[in-house]
Formats: sequence, structure tokens, C-alpha cells
Amino acid sequence: MNKTWIIIKREYLTRVQKKTFIIATLLLPLLYVGLIFGMGFIAEKSRETLSIAVIDSSGYFSAPVLEKQNQLDSSSVLTLVSGVPADSKAETKYDGYLIIPALDWTKGLDSLPLNTFKSYGSATTAAVEAKINRIWSEVVNDSLQIDLGKQMILSQSRIGIKSKNIVDEKSDSSKAEGIGYAAGLLMYFILLVYGSQVMMGVMEEKTNRIAEVIVSSVRPFQMMLGKIIGIGAVALTQFLLWIVFILVAYNIAKEGGTQMGAAEMVGNMQRLFTAVNVPLILFCFGFYFLAGFFFYASLYGAVGSAVNEDIREAQSLSFPITMLVIISIAMMTAAIANPSSPIAVWGSLIPFSSPIVMMARIPYGVPGTVPWWQLIASMAILVLSFLVMVWVAGKIYRTGILLYGKKITWTEMLKWIVRKN
Amino acid sequence: MPTILSLQHLKKYFESQKAVDDISLSIEEGQIFGLLGPNGAGKTTLIRMITGIFYPDHGEIFFQGKKFDPIADVRFIGYMPEERGLYKKMKVGEQAMYLAQLKGLSHREAKEKIGLWFERFGMESWWNKKVEDLSKGMGQKLQFVTTVLHDPRLIILDEPFSGLDPVNSNLIKDEIYRLAASGATIIFSTHRMEQVEEICDQIALVNRGKKILDGTVTDVRSQYKENLFLVETAAAASLPSEALPFTLVNQSGNKLYLQLGEGQSRNQALRFLLDQQLDIVSFKEMLPSLNDIFIKLVEGTPVSRSFETKKDQL
Repeated sequence: MNKTWIIIKREYLTRVQKKTFIIATLLLPLLYVGLIFGMGFIAEKSRETLSIAVIDSSGYFSAPVLEKQNQLDSSSVLTLVSGVPADSKAETKYDGYLIIPALDWTKGLDSLPLNTFKSYGSATTAAVEAKINRIWSEVVNDSLQIDLGKQMILSQSRIGIKSKNIVDEKSDSSKAEGIGYAAGLLMYFILLVYGSQVMMGVMEEKTNRIAEVIVSSVRPFQMMLGKIIGIGAVALTQFLLWIVFILVAYNIAKEGGTQMGAAEMVGNMQRLFTAVNVPLILFCFGFYFLAGFFFYASLYGAVGSAVNEDIREAQSLSFPITMLVIISIAMMTAAIANPSSPIAVWGSLIPFSSPIVMMARIPYGVPGTVPWWQLIASMAILVLSFLVMVWVAGKIYRTGILLYGKKITWTEMLKWIVRKN
Repeated sequence: MPTILSLQHLKKYFESQKAVDDISLSIEEGQIFGLLGPNGAGKTTLIRMITGIFYPDHGEIFFQGKKFDPIADVRFIGYMPEERGLYKKMKVGEQAMYLAQLKGLSHREAKEKIGLWFERFGMESWWNKKVEDLSKGMGQKLQFVTTVLHDPRLIILDEPFSGLDPVNSNLIKDEIYRLAASGATIIFSTHRMEQVEEICDQIALVNRGKKILDGTVTDVRSQYKENLFLVETAAAASLPSEALPFTLVNQSGNKLYLQLGEGQSRNQALRFLLDQQLDIVSFKEMLPSLNDIFIKLVEGTPVSRSFETKKDQL
């Protein structure tokens, strides 16, 4: 049996069988869903129902008008009072008050202060604003003699603009933006998390002093390659599992799609899938995932081999690599804002940033936004670079893994690369 | 006995020094061979070439009569480096299986051999224990087992007793004898001379990348003998201070230390002592210990080397 394969197997199995892997795989999607729903829930929870006293000098906000609105919408309670209430809630039972001056119905008012005894969030005060404006709209409509039918026409009749790429039918810029962001960030996550796992793995072998035992059986290059491929397979497994989760959730939602939210989700996903070229995106994601991972993992592996036990040393040595990933993210943001700009094009050709930047651009459409030559050039450059990088890392690794008790700098590592043998 | 390993003019130079500078050696099958030298002498670099970790810059290695093939021949070599360890989080059994398979054993073979060795060392119950839960001594036993379980023809042990308690030391020592008796060759690298004297058949002393001497332990010791003799008498002796047919190096009570010079013979010396009416209990030659030879040969060479070498052993 091939020895690299034995190493891959060990690296893969020891990680996949770990409790932390299983927990992270299950928990992360739950956490994600929880975060989304949780944020909505917290926003909902933090909205308070304000009881506001209204001192009206305009004559438009009469007690019956307010009463009618309070019945329609209970998110805030407006009460007409005659004088300015006392300066505290305990004495007045109101949370605050509005003093409405004499008003001209053709002009309205730019800013009317809502005086409160406490600070409230914008969601809370928005309810008061909405209610006041609903009353005001009625006043304006009545004055202009616009009946309900005309109001319907006014509110519905409009011309919407939607941009459409005529070269690539499938590209839809708002959805492409969302998918681009998601794909780029996912790539960023993979490169950083799994790249540093490679580094930690190499460091473990060095600090455990097992490195020399192993290199007396296999070539250091096989050892490094086995680790990178093994950990890459772990990352792949995790993503496949997540895709399975999504499909299962999608099908469950589709089957029992009676609930409002579920039906909406299914609809959204279907629309998303028809808006972009899903097979191409998936293929490219797979490609950039593998090639980008190899590129960064070999860098991280090389750094791991140069570190002596000290985790701070690892941090400072891997800092330049982390910087590359972060610069890529900055380039990605620019590329999403303008996917045909020079920075986007260069970012998707340069090997260190291409996995992230190109992945963010592809949903905008190939060959519409990303010409074929760019995609092919980017892939070719990346493959070439990761091959060079694996080779370079192999050289550093071979020397570093057997070296103890000396602090190593990047300059020194560069020397090992050019040195013969 | 056929030669199992032969090194011919091996050289390995690093940026700032000649780690191994033209070393030739030949080791016979079934021998226990001591590779000696101070820290930084080039022992580890030499071993790393023999185990295929480094390629020599110059020179040839012949293993079992053929040119050494670093990829295929590792199957027949077991190496326990000085810097050694195991995966802490891995189970003992899996760890042994992994290392055996990396040596080229099939799953079935590996299981079988591990079974045998674990039984011999009373380690059967450890299979599912994690390495980090083993005591230090247990870990060292496991380390040794993983080095030899693929039945290597050549076993290289770099400072095998460092950090071992006496019980495990003896256990491993006995195993070394047993393996040598069963035909395996053992290279034993150390700077602890007393162990070498006890265990090794043949030695080579390396310093500053060069081989300074080699031979059997007895040969080396007599080669460096200084014609020193110890005479024990029944009672404290007093000797005339002049006209001695030897030099009296030292005397303490009934022990006399004599050194014979050019043209002075043992019999003359004995006869002289008998003539002094001394009641002689014993008369024996004092060969220098390897430690003395080692210090004598190595002394005066710059010690600073041992500090540089860490970084340059590559």
C-alpha cells in the first residue's frame, strides 16, 4: 500500500472521529440558523409599546382619530391630553409626549421632537412615527379629496427597474452579489481554518518528536502531502455534510410546506437556483477550494515545520500568510462592488487572492462578467502556483521538521528553498 | 560474517561546516556496533544518511551487499532517534499499527507482529490506552517496540538509554542482546562510554565529522594502553626510591601502580618486586577505559562546535 495513502488515512480518520469535528459539523449550521432567527427574535423582543401623550394645537389629531388608530395598530398608544405632562413617568403614566404645533397640511413638518423620559431604540419610536404619519396621510388625502380607489392607484402604480445582463441571461446582480459574498467568505473560512489546522498538525509532529521517527520510514514530502490531503478531505467531508443538511432541510420544507416561512424559503431557494449558473458555480467552488487549499495549506505547513513549540512564534510566522487572506477579502469586497474593475480582474488572476476574488465574481456570470480567458488563466495560474508552492514548502518542511531549538525567520526559510538538495 | 553495511567516503557538508567529512566504515551482520562521539561530532548526520533521511553529498552506502535504496530499504531498518516521541492522542495499538504500516508491513502482518511484541513486553492490555495516559517508562517501551517490530535487519538506536529508569534500561539491554543473537545488527550511538564498553563488540569514534578510530573494544583499549600495571600486595609495601626497573606512578597502601617504559619488561618488574620480599596477591595490566581514550582524543577540540551543530545538522 502506498505510504502517502496510509498517512492520508490517519490524518483523515483521527480528525473525523474526533468529537470536536462532529460537534462543529452539527453545531455550526444550527448556530447559523439560530443567529438569524435569534437576531429577529431579539429585535422583536426589544421593541416596546410606548404610551405617548399628544398635545395638539393643529386640530388634526383629535381624540376619536387617535382612538381609531390605536384600535388598528397596538404597537404604540397615543392619547390626547390638554397640557404638558409632568417630567417623569411615575407621575404621568406616559412614556413621553408630542407637542404638535399648528400645521399647514400642504407642508407637514420636517422634525417633530418626541420627548421621552428614557432612550428608546429606533424600532420602538418608528411605531409612533408610522402611526402619526398614517393619520397625516388621511388628513392630506381628505384635503386633496383622494378617495380609497385613487389611493390604491397612487400606492401601486410605479415603474420598477431591474438590471439584466444581456450577454449572460442567468446573471442577476443582486442575487449574484449575495452568492458571491457567501462563496468568497466560505472560501476565506476554509483557507484560514483548515490551513491553520495543517500548521497545527505539523507543529504537533514536531513538538511530539515523532517527525524523525516518521521520516525514517517515509519521505518528508510524502508526510507533508499526506497531511495536506488528509485535512483537505476533512474539509471536503464537512462541506458535503452541510450540503446534505441543506438538501434535507430543503426537502422537508418542500414536503411540509404549509407553514408560511417554509414555503417562502423553498421559493427563495428555487428563485436563487434559477438566477445563477449553479453547476458552474459548484464546479468552480470545488476547483478553487482544492487548488486554493493546497496553495495555502503548503504555506501553513512550511511555517508549521519551522516553529519550535512556541505558539506565539507560530502566530508571528504565519502572520504574513493570514495577511494575504485578509487582503484577498478586501479585494473581494471591491470586486463585488464592481466585478469588472481592474482590481477585480487582477485579484482573480493573482494566485493568493484568486480563490476568494474569483469565487465572488463567478456568480455574476461567465462569460458575461468573467470572460472565459480570465477564468481559464486564473485556474491555470493557480494550479501552477500551488504546484510550485507545494514543492517550495516541501523544501522548507524537510529542513524545518528536523530542526530544534532555533528560532527561524522567513529569510532563513527562503534560503532553504534555494539551497541545493 | 557478511558485511551488512558499508559506508565509503561519505560526506555531508552544510553551509557553515562539514558535518560528515569522509567517513568510511563497515559493519558485520549480527554485531553490536557503537558509534561514539561528543555532541555535534556528526553522529546524527551520519545516521540520518544511513536511514535515508539525508542523501550524502559524496560517497556510497552499501546495504546488504547492494547499493542502498533509501525508499525500499527502510523496510529493513529500524531507527530510534534521539529526538523521539509518539502521537499523544493516538491509541497505543493504532499507533503501533500506523508505524508498522509506514514501514511497509501489511495490515495482517503488522497486527501479528504487534501481538507478539506486546505479549513479550506484557503490553497486551495497553491496546486501547492513549499514549498520553502511559507512564514515561511505558512510553519508552512502546517506542522501542515500534522501532523493532517490523523485524529490521539493521537497528539504529540513538542514545537509547537516555531518560530510562534502570529496570527499563535492563529490559532494553537484554532485548538488544537477544536481537543481535538472532542475527540483527545493531548500531548504538551514544556519548556514554561505560554502556558501550559493556554492550558493544565493535566501535568507531567520530569527532568533527571524521572517524578517529575504530575496532573491537579490546583492540582499541590495548591500542591505547600506557603499560600501566596494578600490583596488590598482602601488606603495605615499601620500595627503594632508586634504581627501579619501572616508574612508580602511585602507591596507596597495598596497591602499587607501575608504568613500564621503553625496554622494561613485566617479568623484570615482577622479579624485582619478588626480590623485595613482597607478598604479591595480584599483578594485572590496566587498560585505559574507553572514556579515558575518548577524552584524550577529543580533548582540545573546540567545544563551540557542539553549540553550532544543532542548527547545522541538516
